[in-house]
Amino acid sequence: MKKVKLRSSFRDLSGFVFEKEGRVLRQVNKVYKKDYDLLISSGLYNELVSNQLLISHSELGGNLAFEKSISYKVIEPKKLDFISYPYEWCFSQLKDAGLLTLRIQKLALKHGLTLKDASAYNIQFYKGRPVFIDTLSFEKYHEGEPWVAYRQFCQHFLAPLVLVSFKDPRFTKLLRVFIDGFPLSFVSKLIPKRTWLNLGLLTHIHLHARSQSYYANKKIVKKKITKVGLRGIVDNLESTLKSLSWNPEGTQWAEYYSFTNYNEEAFVYKKRIVNSFIDTVKPKIVLDLGANTGVFSRIASSQKIVTISVDNDPAAVERNYLESKKNKEEYILPLIIDLENPSPAIGWMSEERTSFIERRPFDLVMSLALLHHLSISNNLPFDNVADFFKKVGRFLIIEFIPKKDSQVQRLLTSRKDIFGSYSIDNFEYVFAKHFRIIRKEKIPASERVLYLMCKK
Amino acid sequence: MPRTFHRVIKAMIVPILFVAIFPESARAYIDPGSGSYILQIVIAGLLGASFTVKLYWKKIRSLFSNKKKKVNENPNEKSETS
Repeated sequence: MKKVKLRSSFRDLSGFVFEKEGRVLRQVNKVYKKDYDLLISSGLYNELVSNQLLISHSELGGNLAFEKSISYKVIEPKKLDFISYPYEWCFSQLKDAGLLTLRIQKLALKHGLTLKDASAYNIQFYKGRPVFIDTLSFEKYHEGEPWVAYRQFCQHFLAPLVLVSFKDPRFTKLLRVFIDGFPLSFVSKLIPKRTWLNLGLLTHIHLHARSQSYYANKKIVKKKITKVGLRGIVDNLESTLKSLSWNPEGTQWAEYYSFTNYNEEAFVYKKRIVNSFIDTVKPKIVLDLGANTGVFSRIASSQKIVTISVDNDPAAVERNYLESKKNKEEYILPLIIDLENPSPAIGWMSEERTSFIERRPFDLVMSLALLHHLSISNNLPFDNVADFFKKVGRFLIIEFIPKKDSQVQRLLTSRKDIFGSYSIDNFEYVFAKHFRIIRKEKIPASERVLYLMCKK
Repeated sequence: MPRTFHRVIKAMIVPILFVAIFPESARAYIDPGSGSYILQIVIAGLLGASFTVKLYWKKIRSLFSNKKKKVNENPNEKSETS
């Protein structure tokens, strides 16, 4: 029976996560016994789980422990469909994750506990909403103690949200570089001077950054703060976070369907073919690449198929997420992924956070109106594109758009046409080396063709 | 509005207080915990007081909105209390 400890699970001595025969288990160590028992006996666990704020778990027998000598219990949390990371989330996903963390901290304080960390990596999206996954993040609250996770919360949530709100939505991608959140001095320098007049930003960003710098090499005298004071800080963080906004308008991709030259009939027909391809494959998990606002992803997700709907445009992903939230959709997960540079494995020994490509295999990959961007905008030969699709999934729905299509012509307006091999015959020839073509359907009133393929 | 006035006063007092407490220091080895710890001690009083006022204000408001609800006979709307 092979057990493998997760490479991201090493910082907290309270326990760790390991995999055993496809099951994800968490060992609770003896040192965490009191806090774990308090989490359960205080009623906090039940309140969090019944409100879908914390992932539920079942307790298993001790003989499953990874390291029996230090083990108190082994728990099995509900398994997630897909793991995503903060640098792949849009503004509202990160904001919702931050608000969830604060809501949990408020409830924890009510039950006499507190969050001992506030990492954005403690949150995952499950059934369309953020959920806290680190069951061992709670500890007994001792009257007078400040919030130990305050710094981490500001760095992981508030700082990137402020940068998006006041500067640019692409800042969230930088969380890939700053694995422990944005340094506050970095953010304080970047955001406009008028933020000094906002009480929340003044305290939690500007003065926080100065305080960190000033006390960096000084001994401090520890003083107590009242519980009301602590609740005041959490409440102010919450109102500051709630006040941050970003309007996802005006980008080329978020407005794509308003400007595309598709006629209504072709659009409907394309949806129908994609639907029939999905029916043929009957996938459990789908990856929609270049999904834009998720119009085609929803053909799968509306049939209760878990669909990871990725795009590189933060505005398109934001719209996609807001729509899924508005309609309470449970099976679609919009993420910001740059296909030309997908999330690599990062962290300690480059093993803490797994790469997007290797996170899990997909039953079906959809590549609609995408190939010309990869081949022409990014100079990728068909062989390389086919290699990529083969690596991430088993079945492939792919749309070929010929050179004379106005969308392809637009890509060629400012550059020399060096793409002699970009033809439907060569596309079929190259892809047939990697895939078996199952179906081929022409979209009426266009030169576009849809294929259903299976990896050889 | 008194609420806006309150905010402006807070926004004015706090920076003066803090600039006095934390003079700009040279770049140093970073110990992120200490600065965050001290900051919380300093802001807890102010934010705690503001939180208490907010709680009472909500209670007063809910008292009035309950009365209004009774008048309007609209039992479906619930006021948010913390």
